[in-house]
Amino acid sequence: MKNSLKVERAVHNLTQEELAKRIGVSRQTINAMEANKYVPSTVLALKLARVFSKPVEEIFSLDEGD
Amino acid sequence: MNNRFLFPHRFKMIGWIMLIPSAIAGLLSLLFDYNLFSLNTTVFAVFEDAFFEQRKMFTLTQNDIFDELVGALLVIGGMMAAFSKERHEDEYIAQIRLESLLWATYINYGFLLFSILFIYGLGFYQIMVLNMFTLLFIFLVRFNFILYKTSRAIA
Repeated sequence: MKNSLKVERAVHNLTQEELAKRIGVSRQTINAMEANKYVPSTVLALKLARVFSKPVEEIFSLDEGD
Repeated sequence: MNNRFLFPHRFKMIGWIMLIPSAIAGLLSLLFDYNLFSLNTTVFAVFEDAFFEQRKMFTLTQNDIFDELVGALLVIGGMMAAFSKERHEDEYIAQIRLESLLWATYINYGFLLFSILFIYGLGFYQIMVLNMFTLLFIFLVRFNFILYKTSRAIA
C-alpha cells in the first residue's frame, strides 16, 4: 500500500512529532508508515484522514502487490 | 489500541535498574565463579535432594541465597523492562513487540537446539543456566533496536 502522508504532512506544515500527538500514536508509527514499513489499522487511517480533512482513499492507495 | 497484558510505563525504568546490576552479577558468577557476596540462610524448600542424601519435601534447609537473589531479580527486572508499556504504546509498537517475541523464540530455541546437539559436559549445564534468560534478552535487544531505528530517521 502506498500513502501520501509525507506530502500531506508538508502541506499542513506538521512535524512527525506534532502529527503523532494529534492522533495519539508514537513518532515511530508515523515514521514507519511514511517509510512504507507499516500499514495502519482502519482506525488510525480514519484519524489521519480527519487531521488532513480528506477521504482515506486520497491518502492511502493500493499498490501493484496488494 | 489496548494491550491489556502490559505493565504501566513507569515499571520499565524500575525493570532496567533491577536487570542491569543483576545481569552483571549473574555473568560474573556464572563465567568467573565470582560471587559478589554470600548469604547463608535458612530457606523453605518444596523439594530438595543431594548426592547420597534422601529426597526431602516441604522442608527447611541451609543455602547460600546469592544465586536465588540474582535469578529472581533477573526474571522480575527482565519481565518489567520487556513488558512495560512504552510512553505511547500504540498498534505499531504492539506489532514490533509481537514480531520481536517471535524472533526471540526462534533464536533462543535455535541456540538451544545447537547446544543440545553439540555442547557436552559441564559446558552444557552453563548453557542451560544462560538459556533461562536468553529469551528475554534477545527480545529486549531486538525490540529496542527497532524502536531506536524507527525513531531516528529524519523528522
